Amino acid sequence: MAEVALRSVTKRYGAVEVIHGIDLDIRHGEFAVFVGPSGCGKSTLLRMIAGLEEITAGEIRIDGRIVNHLPPRDREIAMVFQDYALYPHKSVFDNLAFSLKLRKLPKEDIEERVRAAAGILKIEHLLDRKPRALSGGQRQRVAMGRAIVRQPKLFLFDEPLSNLDALLRSEMRAEIKKLHQRIGKTTIYVTHDQVEAMTLAERIVVLSGGNIMQVGTPDDIYNRPASKFVAGFTGSPPMNFLPARIAASPVALEILLGDGSARLAASLARAGAYAVFANRNVEFGIRPEDLAMRRVGANDVSLPAQVVVVEPLGAETLATLQCGAGEMICRLPPNEAPAAGENISIWVNMDKFHLFDSASGSVLRAN
Amino acid sequence: MPKSRFAWQGPCARIVHKRRLIDRFLDPSETHLGWALVLPAIVLILIIVAYPVTNLIVNSFYDIRLSRGLPVRFIGLENYVAALNDPMFWRALKNTLVITLVTVPGALMVGLGLAMLANLPFKRRGLIRLALLLPWALPLAFVGLIFAWFFHSEYGIVNDFIRRIALLLPSLNLKPQVWFNSPSQTMVAICVATIWKTSSFMALIILAGLQTVPASLYEAAEVDGASKWTQFMEITLPLLVPSILVALIFRTLTAIQSFEIPFSMPGPGEELQTLAMYIQLNTVDYLDLGYGSALAVFMFALSMATTFVYLRYVRGEKA
Repeated sequence: MAEVALRSVTKRYGAVEVIHGIDLDIRHGEFAVFVGPSGCGKSTLLRMIAGLEEITAGEIRIDGRIVNHLPPRDREIAMVFQDYALYPHKSVFDNLAFSLKLRKLPKEDIEERVRAAAGILKIEHLLDRKPRALSGGQRQRVAMGRAIVRQPKLFLFDEPLSNLDALLRSEMRAEIKKLHQRIGKTTIYVTHDQVEAMTLAERIVVLSGGNIMQVGTPDDIYNRPASKFVAGFTGSPPMNFLPARIAASPVALEILLGDGSARLAASLARAGAYAVFANRNVEFGIRPEDLAMRRVGANDVSLPAQVVVVEPLGAETLATLQCGAGEMICRLPPNEAPAAGENISIWVNMDKFHLFDSASGSVLRAN
Repeated sequence: MPKSRFAWQGPCARIVHKRRLIDRFLDPSETHLGWALVLPAIVLILIIVAYPVTNLIVNSFYDIRLSRGLPVRFIGLENYVAALNDPMFWRALKNTLVITLVTVPGALMVGLGLAMLANLPFKRRGLIRLALLLPWALPLAFVGLIFAWFFHSEYGIVNDFIRRIALLLPSLNLKPQVWFNSPSQTMVAICVATIWKTSSFMALIILAGLQTVPASLYEAAEVDGASKWTQFMEITLPLLVPSILVALIFRTLTAIQSFEIPFSMPGPGEELQTLAMYIQLNTVDYLDLGYGSALAVFMFALSMATTFVYLRYVRGEKA
């Protein structure tokens, strides 16, 4: 196992800075996921940890040792690539054994390690095949096997599931999680898929434009997002945002949506907390599952809305609503789904809303 | 005006009939359509390949000496027997094989090096790639003439270089050579010129092959602990085998047909005749089309045998 520490890590291509002084600590045995939209720098950061990209400034430590100028082979890492990067002319056995042969391990040890890794990944029957004779999922397993046999301190995964179809992806996701639970090695996993990030990670690192936006557990990221960006990036469908203003009142706090025609009264428990932000223009955020067709909690507030689109998904139904201040998507049980065009009252769980500063996008949290 | 035979059946019958005509092309295993589509290619191959080759083989069984005039006479295998007993034929064959055995591996090595160089990530590598094309674009006879000057005993750049080295390192005891006086030294000049001319073609094919190797394979190898040399031996070279084989097939076939460079270089004349030059001598200079055709059939057989060997190897690799 290894601890990874990044200190002011910067990457510049010519005059363009793509990673802006990142500080991050990844703990022993942790499964950390770098997530963010395309071009946010997540893969670049991973490749810098791997040693496949030089860092422009800063310091990378693996287990306390500065590895800035160490070649990848000396960093005690293993990496699974997006396109698997299996050697097409070598058999699965030779793909797995390649790094061990380079280390000049005895033949018996190589055989033993390869068979053990193949056993873990259930690919023993594929050892004589060439990669071209394997399915996408099997190639993925071989790529993981190649990482396992090296017995590295640190596993790096660069969007390893993005070439698989949805069904296989969820299967392999579970496999990777099981593998981590079994091996327990520090793992850094890069993905643009927030579902992968939420399901796999012990800690998620959300990146945008070469900066870390938030580091936290999946629960933190989902329920306590640090910014509108993080809130909007997680969840499927993502959080609803409506422009709003906080109105001061002697008895309670009201959130005026849009032009002020719709008012939401904040629960007393939260009213006090947000009172300091009175009269500020904000973004009101609410997750689709915190909207309902009927009153569920004591602090729910109703809002008149018209149903624009209804999308039945089987286990749940998504309804797009027009509520004056803007559109919102709500997640409903299938038996409660309204019809398109219907005028309804949608209940907002006022214990679960989020407020973000209109200008900076950062979350408004009162002490 | 005669009425259509479908007039009494109405427009539906007409459509059904047309449909049947189309189906006749498409449905019965689509054979007709298949033949119709490949027919132009077959006709083209018959005109530009099958006819000349057949004509060549037929001519090789006749005594066609235009200097004697018509009629021609069927003589069976006499031309072939004459060739097998002709010391000039064996010498031409030997020269051809020497050029092939020296210049094909030579061009492969130089071409591989050039391709690796052109594949390096540096600025303006487009210029280097363009420069690779230049020798390939030059006419062969022109290359022969250029290298005849390079190897000129008085004004040539090669002897100039030897003189300079001799001045710098007298202990090596190097002396300028009269390159075109002896067959072996002329052969050196021919081989150098041929390698220079053809290595760019090899480089282009190998460069195309290099660009199909995904960068992630090298990165994976780097993580696996492979040195640059190991990466070359374990990844680059094995993945280049298909490109190298294609380049080798083309290069070997053109080496067997070597004509322009040895023809345009000065030297000891007939001593360094290649098979193609000897065929030209017999057919064009001596107007002996029958004997020339028999020699050409030998060359054709040699080319086919070489191609067959390469293709067998390729199939073996694929299996």
